[in-house]
Amino acid sequence: MTETTLQVQAAETRGLRSDQASGLTLLALAGLVGWLNREFPVGTLADPGPGYVPLLLAVGLGVIGVLVAAFGVRSMPLRTLAWPEATRALVIMAACVVATFALERIGYRITIAALLVFFVGVVERKAWWVTALVAGVFSLASYHVVGVMLKVPLPRGPWGF
Amino acid sequence: MVETFNSLMMGFSVAFQPQVLMYAFFGCIIGTLVGMMPGLGPLAGISLLLPATFGLNPIIAIVLLSGVYYGAMYGGSTTSILMRIPGEAASVMTCVDGYAMTQQGRAGPALAIAAIGSFVAGTLGVIGLMLLAPTLADFALRFGPPEYTALLLMGLFVLAYMSGGSMLKTLAMAVFGLLLGMIGIDVMSGYTRFSFGITELGDGVGIVPVAVGLFGISEILMTAGQADPPKVQQPTLRQLVPTASDLRQSVGPIARGSLLGFMIGIIPGSAHIISSFVSYGMERRLSKTPERFGQGAIEGVAGPESANNAAATGAFVPMLALGIPTGPVTAVMLAAIMVHGILPGPMLIQQQPDLFWGFVASMYVGNVVLLVLNLPMVGLFVNLLRIPYAYLYPCILAFCIVGCYSVSNSTMDVWIMLVMGVVGYVLRKFGFDLAPVALGLVLGPMLELSLRQSLAMSGGDYAIFLQRPIAVTMLVLAVVLLFFAVKPLIFKGKDWRSKVGLDEPADS
Amino acid sequence: MNKRYLMAALLLFCGAAHAQEVFPSRPLSMVVPFPPGGVADVTGRPTAAALEKVLKQPVTIANRPGAGGAVGNAAVANARPDGYTVLMALSSITVIPEADKLFNRKPAYTLDQLAPIALVSADPMILVVHPSLPVKTVKDVIALAKKQPGELSFSSSGVYGALHMPMEMFLHAAQLKMRHVPTTGGGPAITQLLGGHVTMTAGGPAAITSHVKAGKLRTIVTWGAERHPNYREVPTFKEQGYDIVYYIWAGMFAPAGTPEPVMKVLRDAVRQAVNDAEFKAQMARVNSPVNYLDAPDFAKYVDTDAKRLATVVKAIGRVQ
Repeated sequence: MTETTLQVQAAETRGLRSDQASGLTLLALAGLVGWLNREFPVGTLADPGPGYVPLLLAVGLGVIGVLVAAFGVRSMPLRTLAWPEATRALVIMAACVVATFALERIGYRITIAALLVFFVGVVERKAWWVTALVAGVFSLASYHVVGVMLKVPLPRGPWGF
Repeated sequence: MVETFNSLMMGFSVAFQPQVLMYAFFGCIIGTLVGMMPGLGPLAGISLLLPATFGLNPIIAIVLLSGVYYGAMYGGSTTSILMRIPGEAASVMTCVDGYAMTQQGRAGPALAIAAIGSFVAGTLGVIGLMLLAPTLADFALRFGPPEYTALLLMGLFVLAYMSGGSMLKTLAMAVFGLLLGMIGIDVMSGYTRFSFGITELGDGVGIVPVAVGLFGISEILMTAGQADPPKVQQPTLRQLVPTASDLRQSVGPIARGSLLGFMIGIIPGSAHIISSFVSYGMERRLSKTPERFGQGAIEGVAGPESANNAAATGAFVPMLALGIPTGPVTAVMLAAIMVHGILPGPMLIQQQPDLFWGFVASMYVGNVVLLVLNLPMVGLFVNLLRIPYAYLYPCILAFCIVGCYSVSNSTMDVWIMLVMGVVGYVLRKFGFDLAPVALGLVLGPMLELSLRQSLAMSGGDYAIFLQRPIAVTMLVLAVVLLFFAVKPLIFKGKDWRSKVGLDEPADS
Repeated sequence: MNKRYLMAALLLFCGAAHAQEVFPSRPLSMVVPFPPGGVADVTGRPTAAALEKVLKQPVTIANRPGAGGAVGNAAVANARPDGYTVLMALSSITVIPEADKLFNRKPAYTLDQLAPIALVSADPMILVVHPSLPVKTVKDVIALAKKQPGELSFSSSGVYGALHMPMEMFLHAAQLKMRHVPTTGGGPAITQLLGGHVTMTAGGPAAITSHVKAGKLRTIVTWGAERHPNYREVPTFKEQGYDIVYYIWAGMFAPAGTPEPVMKVLRDAVRQAVNDAEFKAQMARVNSPVNYLDAPDFAKYVDTDAKRLATVVKAIGRVQ
């Protein structure tokens, strides 16, 4: 999550090139890992501790980030990077987040049916009966195949469905 | 030789019993189905069927489970090729060129080559298993932590050949993947690293939710929001069949992939996942036209698919010859045999010849069944692409959610998948390749563990890597690989000018 | 449209609220905190099958692997205490909270969040060495280890894991130093030993039998309180003068706070299930014979084990 927000922040800076933005983001990520790594003993070369390899990787990532940024002078300006699909992507992700949150609370079948109703009916604006058909058939059929035939204990809601 | 032949005939007499045949068939179907579900891989498939085998006789049990195993190894490629969703870890590489072929309307040949490659690799694998099992098994045991470290280093250096983009960006993604692999409990010390207090992250992030998110979800995010939805494909029969040149181009990759996969497969541990990555890198390096890779090169499907199926067969060598599991899948299969009171171990082949040879014979049968089952299915699967995208993507998303949930019955994997979907989307927007992330994540924990195990064995002395012949050989190979990878960077001289014109300047 | 859904949901909800009167009136879920094929799974599946027959309700297995069992244990500890979610745990259940304490972590669960139902099986660990190691008895091992301090090595299923704990008990009792090579599980630990990459390991009877029979491993001593029926010739640590005992056990738990009548149904069901002939045969075949204890005795057993292991964890301390 962190690096996405960082990337968004970087994107708002004017005049930055896309590779400079991503390089700096990598550097920031490396910094974050290095900072989180404080609590683990690093050990020695002969006896590396739990913090040894992560520290090594964080340093590596930081160096690479700087290099990406340095060589990124001629890459595409960040502002020309188009995000035509971003709105739809956000809607899709938001729906998936809600669905995942609901999955173990209201049960698999209701969640998936609701998710499909949202996508097919609301987002894609298909006819209501097609929507109902897709949502109903998919949620019940997939529950039967995965939950019953393959015996995966898919979550049920508090009312047993 | 004659003895082997006679034993094999006895094996076939077991394998051709109608009941055994039926279960082999049944196993292949279930396996293909399970492998096609994103998230549900071979391990999930055979563990789901495990309880059902308690009531069967041991030969049927193992035939059924192994059918599921290689069925799932095959089935994983279907969703990778059609929808860019890796059904299981081994088909991550297939996503790259397989899906590119689908976008060019060549899903049919891609699926067909995957089926043929899997068949050839599976069959060659069984021949290897049959003739060499005891010999190879002893060799496999000599793979301790130092050898493993050297092998994984080789796998890491293959990275250099994996992507056509900027070397720096490839490296960045690999390190990012390696760092992802650091999440979870450190086996050597018991520290829980970077888990942010979430118990479920104690075992680290699984490759399946990460791969489904990076490849599958990011693809949906990229496509679903486009102004005009992708065109519905109407493939004709001619387009379903691989052309003569497709087949010619695939012969080499299939042969090399089979050999490579089998060799990696017999080594105890989870290294067999890297076989498809190594095969892809190798094919790209050997190709005269490496720029086609990533744009729908059929070799990029044929090689990795063969390698992962051969590795699946290779994994049976130590399991049958020594009774030791090469990975989680074989561990479950060993449990399935043990439940019947059969002790898997070095004496299995002598004590239970009908089990061993029946199993070997049933694997020949199973591979034929898979081919017969799947080649006609290519037409059916390709027709899935006729579904308008407005209906297809919601269903794919729902499949991804249920698939990742089923990996360990926890929403944690679904969260990981969603986060990785966003990360993958943003990374692709910024021109980063995603395959190195998957390779890094697979290699990270294994490489760190085996390195530190080696040092624990030697008391902190790095000389252990130079005292063991297999490890030294592989380290030398790794260094040679690395040399060839960085050679163009150091000796830019000749093709420097032409490169500037073609590649982006960041290719340094 | 929304209204209609709401109505339907409400109706369903009311319907369900009436249903729960006799336990069990719907399928149970048995959480196995390890991947399929492991000891917990191999014990859990036949137990579930036998329980189904007694309870007349399906008992589904839910593998919730992760963090050495912590994920599944925590899931049941925090589940609704209605008896419909039960746990098939291994002895590591007592070690995990201790290790959490050691690292100042917020524990994923505590032992008092779980109510014991019954012990199902308990297998003593056996010390096995690579046949190339010139030792036959514990005395030889100790002598060799004293001669080459820090040179001998053992593999385990991970730090504080089921194979690490007994070895540390031994090393402490005999005041030895060895190199520890942790791996990712019991299977890999044995594989390392078979390949001669380490010199010894503690192994469960089920895991080592075929290798011992083939002469690829040599048994030295067992952590059992008495000799193992299948390994009559292997002496116990007690006989050798070391008061150390270690069993890897599998037992069932329910979330604490489960109503007493429900607990009684579950306990009775398990008692009947373990006496099921088919179940017994199945457990014997995987070399893990039934070792039943009812809740009160099992609670004492867990308590003793927890105390013993807590001291070992503290003695090991933080590695590194």
